[in-house]
Amino acid sequence: MAVAWEPIRMIEALRRVRREAATYRGLWSWIATVDHKRIGIMYGVAAFAFFLAGGIEALLIRLQLARPGGDVVSPEVYNQLFTMHGTTMIFLVVMPLASAFFNLVVPLQIGARDVAFPRLNAFSFWVFLVGALFLHSSILAGGAPNAGWFGYAPLTELPYNPGHGIDFWALGLQIVGISSMASAFNFIVTILNLRAPGMTLFRMPVFTWMTLVTSFLIILAMPVIAVALFQLEFDRLFGANFFNPTKGGTPLLWQHLFWIFGHPEVYILILPAMGIVSEVLPTFSQKPLFGYPFVIFSGIAIAFMSFGVWAHHMYTTGLGPVANSAFGVGTILIAVPTGVKIFNWLATLWGGNVSLRTPLLFAVGFVAMFVIGGLTGVTHSMVPSDYQQQDTYYVVAHFHQVLFGGALFALFAGVYYWFPKFSGRLLDEKLGQLHFWLMLIGFNLTFQPMMILGMLGMPRRIYTYPEGMGWDQWNLLATSGAFVIALSVLVFMVNVVRSLRRAERAGADPWDGRTLEWSIPSPPPPYNFARIPVVRARDDFWHRKYMEDAQGRPVPVVAGGSGEVESGAPEEEIHMPSPSFFPLITAIGFPIIATGFVFAEYAVVAAGAVVLLYGLYGWALEPATE
Amino acid sequence: MKRSFSIRWPLFGLALLVGLLAVACETSTPQNTFAPAGDVADKQRQLFLMAMWPAVAILVGVEVVLVLSLILFRRRRGRQLPKQVHGNTPLEVAWTLAPLLLLLGLAVPMVALIFELGRNPKAEALPIRVIGHQWVWEFQYPTFADGQGRPLTIIGTPENPPELHIPAGREIALEITSADVIHSFWVPRLGGKLDAIPGRVNRMWIVVNEPGVYPGQCAEFCGLLHADMRLKVVVHETEADFEGWVREMLSSGSGGGR
Repeated sequence: MAVAWEPIRMIEALRRVRREAATYRGLWSWIATVDHKRIGIMYGVAAFAFFLAGGIEALLIRLQLARPGGDVVSPEVYNQLFTMHGTTMIFLVVMPLASAFFNLVVPLQIGARDVAFPRLNAFSFWVFLVGALFLHSSILAGGAPNAGWFGYAPLTELPYNPGHGIDFWALGLQIVGISSMASAFNFIVTILNLRAPGMTLFRMPVFTWMTLVTSFLIILAMPVIAVALFQLEFDRLFGANFFNPTKGGTPLLWQHLFWIFGHPEVYILILPAMGIVSEVLPTFSQKPLFGYPFVIFSGIAIAFMSFGVWAHHMYTTGLGPVANSAFGVGTILIAVPTGVKIFNWLATLWGGNVSLRTPLLFAVGFVAMFVIGGLTGVTHSMVPSDYQQQDTYYVVAHFHQVLFGGALFALFAGVYYWFPKFSGRLLDEKLGQLHFWLMLIGFNLTFQPMMILGMLGMPRRIYTYPEGMGWDQWNLLATSGAFVIALSVLVFMVNVVRSLRRAERAGADPWDGRTLEWSIPSPPPPYNFARIPVVRARDDFWHRKYMEDAQGRPVPVVAGGSGEVESGAPEEEIHMPSPSFFPLITAIGFPIIATGFVFAEYAVVAAGAVVLLYGLYGWALEPATE
Repeated sequence: MKRSFSIRWPLFGLALLVGLLAVACETSTPQNTFAPAGDVADKQRQLFLMAMWPAVAILVGVEVVLVLSLILFRRRRGRQLPKQVHGNTPLEVAWTLAPLLLLLGLAVPMVALIFELGRNPKAEALPIRVIGHQWVWEFQYPTFADGQGRPLTIIGTPENPPELHIPAGREIALEITSADVIHSFWVPRLGGKLDAIPGRVNRMWIVVNEPGVYPGQCAEFCGLLHADMRLKVVVHETEADFEGWVREMLSSGSGGGR
């Protein structure tokens, strides 16, 4: 091992970094943090809190529909519930959970000390949090939004929706969108510029690759919804005329803009999940990912194609046979790269040495359920057949297969996989398996009946239905399944709390990992890598532990390879960013401005702008390191 | 490794589903998209099945390989580390091209049916205007006018949904629009839905072969009472029956405008 560096100077540098990281203590240390790991944890905790809120909304929806003529909630409350459920789960749960993993994992996988712009990263989190809270504050201000997560105009226009709910929705999503944009730029720069020496693009772990692709999708898709939301608010606040047909506006314009954003959004939600699965399956099979370049390129292909299929959400709006045929064929073809990924995951498991631990179970659950989502997607990409299925429970079943059976299962795989890295403790295996099986069973009980409900002609977004439609028992079954899912989430929470208190210590590399994050201690020190590693191969850490013999079988490297980081050039000094309050102050400006617009109090808008500018100036003038 | 959560649980769930499926077959399903009563709905069902059966085959294939790989390659004590296989290009090409060909094969009948259903209605088709309101449907028959020259008009209430009367066997040309927000006209056993969009007229044709009463409902979320925006299509066996109904409505005056 390297002896060229000077141990004493090194230790001195590390001590100084630890001292700096402890400038603030307790709660303040979290509020002022710019450490990607702490920001990642905050993203995760906040997203989980919103997951519980969205889950309770889902349970109320299912209670209302458990039997015909349900009267658990009023029609108005029901409409608010499904609007908030969809909006919350997409923007405040799956996206920030993915952000949590971007933050926690990507800098470690590429051998970096932090992200490229640490304060911008803190800003992303705080803007997300205040935006989400602003959206939820509509409940206190006279009612949550009630026009669906898709908010089709002209139902969202003032004549049909005079309350403030829609304003909170539009401006809240606008704020959350700022967070996504900032974070996406940050991760693109981080991944392109901060990779350790030797980590070429085609040595990058797949999760990092999918983070990069997702970030590009975000910066291309988010501005479209931002434009649409601004147009909607101009209609509502200033009497503009984009979507209101009584004054000559075009309601379909909203649908085009919304889905030009909305379909890439689906892949923004699923590509990080695919990245996680592409990390978990190889690790627990002790085999490299099968067809690495094909998995990467199909991810990129999916991202490109996702911008050309938006009108499959609009087959029944009367676009005409030519447009419907073009979008129909485009949508069918997106199944090809998706299929390639699934086949490569199967080939990764095949011939492996498969350990059935909880992360692997969730990853396998992802493959098993996501394939149903993909195939049901093919059935209703068939345009004339979709004339029947559009806006029915068949579609509800389909996208829950993708976003719950897919994305959420993979995110839970990620939680079980990386939890020991960041807490230093393993999650309990028995409770983990119980969680998995309950969730898998509950999921199938809830969403497979919905496929049948759709075929039996049950539309979405109805607050009730009469007897005699043949829907009763399927709805009851779906409701019972939802409570099994709720139980599984409780098991998960118990597991986390218990494991944090008294579980076994994880060690640096509990799963015999393949990528760089497993080469450093658990939890990682603030500076991550004492010395920046030099990367020589894809799955670099694995290759430090094992050599391949002539038949391609791995043989352990004899002299203590595991857990040790090789030296690069000697470190002069470890440069770490200082904590800062200004990202939070800047973020707080946004909801104040938005509140001013909702209630047409322009003094409040000005006050918010002052806060925002104060934060920005403070940020700009603050020295980066003390 | 713990094995207490064996295969029994999933099997139990499967058995429950099969049992419920059996129960469901007994009950009436008036909006069943798989019980077409007209040409349009029947063609749509056939196209769905054409995509569904290959999908089911692929699903079973993937799930079997997935479960097999967990059983066959499960980690056991003393097992050697596996050969580090990085990929196989011919295999990648094969599982890219095979689905591509299958999907393009599906695209051909799909495009054909899009154009068939998207054609203009025939000249002899019976025109009916369908107008969506929050939360009720209105139907106008421009070819039947009352004494003042107003078209025969049927409109209901959320509590008392309107009936759309048509003759069996004759092509119906629907002109669908909305007076306020976006709705979607849908009678599942007669055909797929088409949106009712303010400021725009969408056209669709249907032919119903079996006389009877077919419920339908608004399929696009349209606000508070979206769920109550229902309708019934009454299909008369003969033209004479249907014309009798038209005369009755015109003479009783109950079919007048709003």
